[in-house]
Amino acid sequence: MYDNRLSGYLYIAPFLVGLATFTLFPFLSSFLLSFSDYQLQDPVEQARFLGLGNYIQMAGDDTFHGSLGVTFLYVFLTVPLKLAFALFIAFVLNFKLRGIGFFRTAYYVPSILGGSVAIAVLWRYVFAGDGLINQVLVWAGGEPLNWLGEPAYALFTIVLLRLWQFGSAMVVFLAGLQNIPTDLYEAATIDGAGKARIFFTITLPLLTPVIFFNFIMQIVQAFQEFNGPYIITGGGPLKSTYLLPLMIYEEAFKYFNVGYAAALSWVLFIIIALFTIIAFASAKYWVFYGNEREEGE
Amino acid sequence: MSLITRPRPDIAWIGRVNALLRYGVLIGVGLVMLYPLFWMVAASFKPNHEIFGSVGLWPQEPTMDGVVKGWRTGTEYSFATYLLNSFAFIIPKVVLTVVSSVLVAYGFARFRMPGKQLWFALMVATILLPKSVLLIPQYLMFREFGWLDTYLPLYVPCAFATDGFFVFMVVQFLRGIPPDMEEAAVIDGCNSLQVLWHVVVPVIMPAIISVALFQFMWSLNDFLYPLIYLSSVGKYPVALALKMAIDVTEATAWNQVLAMSTIALLPSLIVFFLAQKYFVEGITSGSVKG
Amino acid sequence: MAKGRVLLRGVVKSFGATDVIKGVDLEIAPGELTVFVGPSGCGKSTLLRLVSGLELPTGGSIMIGDRDVTLVHPSERGIAMVFQSYALYPHMSVAENMGFGLKIAGLPKALIKEKVAKAAETLQLTPLLDRKPRALSGGQRQRVAIGRCIVREPDVFLFDEPLSNLDAALRGQMRVEIARLHAKLGATMIYVTHDQVEAMTLATRIVVLNAGRIEQIGAPIELYCHPANLFVAGFIGSPRMNFMDGIVEGAEADSVNVRLNGATLRLPRYDADVKRGNKVTVGIRPEHFRVGPTAEAAEEPAVEFDAVIDLVERLGGETLAHLRMPSLSDGVLVVKISGDVALRIGTGLRVGVRLAQCHLFDADGRAVGAPASRVAPVAA
Ligand SMILES: Nc1ncnc2c1ncn2[C@@H]1O[C@H](COP(=O)(O)OP(=O)(O)O)[C@@H](O)[C@H]1O
Ligand SMILES: [Mg+2]
Repeated sequence: MYDNRLSGYLYIAPFLVGLATFTLFPFLSSFLLSFSDYQLQDPVEQARFLGLGNYIQMAGDDTFHGSLGVTFLYVFLTVPLKLAFALFIAFVLNFKLRGIGFFRTAYYVPSILGGSVAIAVLWRYVFAGDGLINQVLVWAGGEPLNWLGEPAYALFTIVLLRLWQFGSAMVVFLAGLQNIPTDLYEAATIDGAGKARIFFTITLPLLTPVIFFNFIMQIVQAFQEFNGPYIITGGGPLKSTYLLPLMIYEEAFKYFNVGYAAALSWVLFIIIALFTIIAFASAKYWVFYGNEREEGE
Repeated sequence: MSLITRPRPDIAWIGRVNALLRYGVLIGVGLVMLYPLFWMVAASFKPNHEIFGSVGLWPQEPTMDGVVKGWRTGTEYSFATYLLNSFAFIIPKVVLTVVSSVLVAYGFARFRMPGKQLWFALMVATILLPKSVLLIPQYLMFREFGWLDTYLPLYVPCAFATDGFFVFMVVQFLRGIPPDMEEAAVIDGCNSLQVLWHVVVPVIMPAIISVALFQFMWSLNDFLYPLIYLSSVGKYPVALALKMAIDVTEATAWNQVLAMSTIALLPSLIVFFLAQKYFVEGITSGSVKG
Repeated sequence: MAKGRVLLRGVVKSFGATDVIKGVDLEIAPGELTVFVGPSGCGKSTLLRLVSGLELPTGGSIMIGDRDVTLVHPSERGIAMVFQSYALYPHMSVAENMGFGLKIAGLPKALIKEKVAKAAETLQLTPLLDRKPRALSGGQRQRVAIGRCIVREPDVFLFDEPLSNLDAALRGQMRVEIARLHAKLGATMIYVTHDQVEAMTLATRIVVLNAGRIEQIGAPIELYCHPANLFVAGFIGSPRMNFMDGIVEGAEADSVNVRLNGATLRLPRYDADVKRGNKVTVGIRPEHFRVGPTAEAAEEPAVEFDAVIDLVERLGGETLAHLRMPSLSDGVLVVKISGDVALRIGTGLRVGVRLAQCHLFDADGRAVGAPASRVAPVAA
């Protein structure tokens, strides 16, 4: 039966249909739409071909430039900080201590809840003028800050929200750390390597596949951040949190400029694709494969 | 990495300090992380003036006022409606996701077929494809179907294994299981569908539960898709209703808002604590085992 | 009837570009216990899986009984298989595991129960019927896997290295059980192993495989006494046969003269197809050497070597001596001496062997002629 070519295709048929209908077709459509002046309220037939019009418009659109800058700033802040913090905590947790399971669970809770509207709402109140953070600041003798009203701070509240969700990356790191055979550490210790040396010559290289996985997932996720700016800051103040996905949404569903929104979404796609391609292409220089442990020992 | 236990007293002493430091970091970080959540729950039972008055957790003058008003939401429906709405599309979504992911993963993991590498690569690529590039055409397509303001756009795609992440997760799980049992079942007279049902499904149950749980949580949290597809308030799921309820609540009624958030998070929290090991297994199976 | 006969004709199997089975012709008589043996990766499992139908051949045909089953579904071939990993269904009890095939076939519950009970009786599994596989020991799991086969009442039993996951003691015990089962059921069995001891003890016939081809088929003792080529000679027997290179000096009707190690050996041979000047290999099993003065007392023609002891392995019941010979530059000679013999490393040792027990192979590795001892009495 395993030789039957047809039955294999029968099983993946749902995927193939879904791929064509809900992924490839929309994917190509949005590419075509990005060259049109299509407006959401019109019938599709009324769309006119604009050539590179939308892309030319983008070149002179200050809102887009601002949004692009803020998006990069957001991603470059969130991803490295989150990965570093997740790795650090995973490292602290990877120790024969009592109660590890409890901490792992506690740290994982925000990852599960963090994407929800409820948490975004909570965040708004935590960072509000007389919210929890400012109360703590005052209680500690500091000055309250206008977190959500100052363009300089608003993006940080969203960055912090996503950092708060480091748990899922941490769990993956932790599993990676626990996959490293302890006899390697023992051998290195016997060879006289110190803790730092062991970390840089054994732990880190063996962890690179997991770092790679987390990096890709976090990059892709960060570039698509929508709930945070939409609910916590509404993109403001002064568009300081107007991330690209929010701009795409508003162009399409608030201003009905579907053609322009499609062009924006293709720019976002190309940015993410570039990052992924660079990551995969560079993987062979820094990701260490080939230390899979034997199955079933 | 307490690797080699040496009896020297000075080393043992360092070990104890090390453990103490680690606990310090862990407890400190945990406290900072979970405090906002506790604060939210506590604030639901406080009068408003007390929320602004102190950073402490325990309510001085406990009141159900916020919770009761929060449950009523200040919109034309109560939370009960919105919760039911959420489940109305999340349950079909979870079921369809599980069924389609398992079928497709079984096809990928256990059958030889020409072109498999290509399809598998495309599936992994869809995981990385940003949703916003598909959002607009999908919206136009569902508008053509006449599906706007129904739950169909939210769950029908799941019948076609559109969440590559879940397929990938199950494939990884299947790869870790030797196919001998399935071959024994073939010799016992099963066709491939019977093998799937009688042998594979029971064996990969942990992966199936992980898929179901993740899809449940993510759907509960999902905001953007309901936002663009649903327009009647009577059909709003919790995520949309919460955003709306907060917009219509007076800005000073914090206990009410935070109570609503707490209520909205309860289903997730309950499910998470009932089944936390499946979350950890699920998220790691996609990354480490491969 | 030919029930239980297995016939392979020109069977070929490739995975993509790699040819794994390169043309196998084989007939297995009903009731035989045939063992496929060969080094790891030679294609034993693949050949067995071709018989089972889990793999389909790229070419050739397979018959079981009087039926061409080349493309028949595994469950309809009248076979049952025991896997190396046992492959028990982890979520089913022992009874459910054993009865699963019958359930799929749609047999009534009562009948399934009866058949399972009977098989369980045979294998002493009755008290374990309600347990899950994870609550069983390795040996018990193995018996359940066999029980699952018995219940199907197959014409042909297939075993793929069924004992390799057991410890040595249990392996010996299960080996006896399988032999007993074969005697009791009288069914055809095909048994795959890489362990030549298992093959020698269990088989009515052994098929030696190497790199996807059959090297030799024969009864265990036949393979031991008359290996058809260097590969079989080296594979069957432990420790393995010693090989020494020589040159043919001349061939007569009933003997071949080989120049070896500075001496000329007159090996009794019939029908030997060699010429003067040919390169040949002389093979001598370690257990065929005799040590010391007894060699000279032998009545049959013998040859003797003087060597230096390089290493001694004392196993109690026997002693293995690794010898270096001054003129034998490549490798060492292993000699097996029964009993515990105190030998000193570095000292000289004289060993002898009867010429009738020397094997001779040509440059292509094929056995040259039949040893005269088998065909005709040897003149002194
Ligand atoms: N499904 C397969 N795909 C590709 N190569 C295979 C497959 N199964 C077996 N092989 C190859 O065929 C050869 C013989 O395998 P196998 O029959 O399992 O050997 P044995 O059982 O004698 O150790 C090996 O080199 C193995 O790598
Ligand atoms: Mg094998």
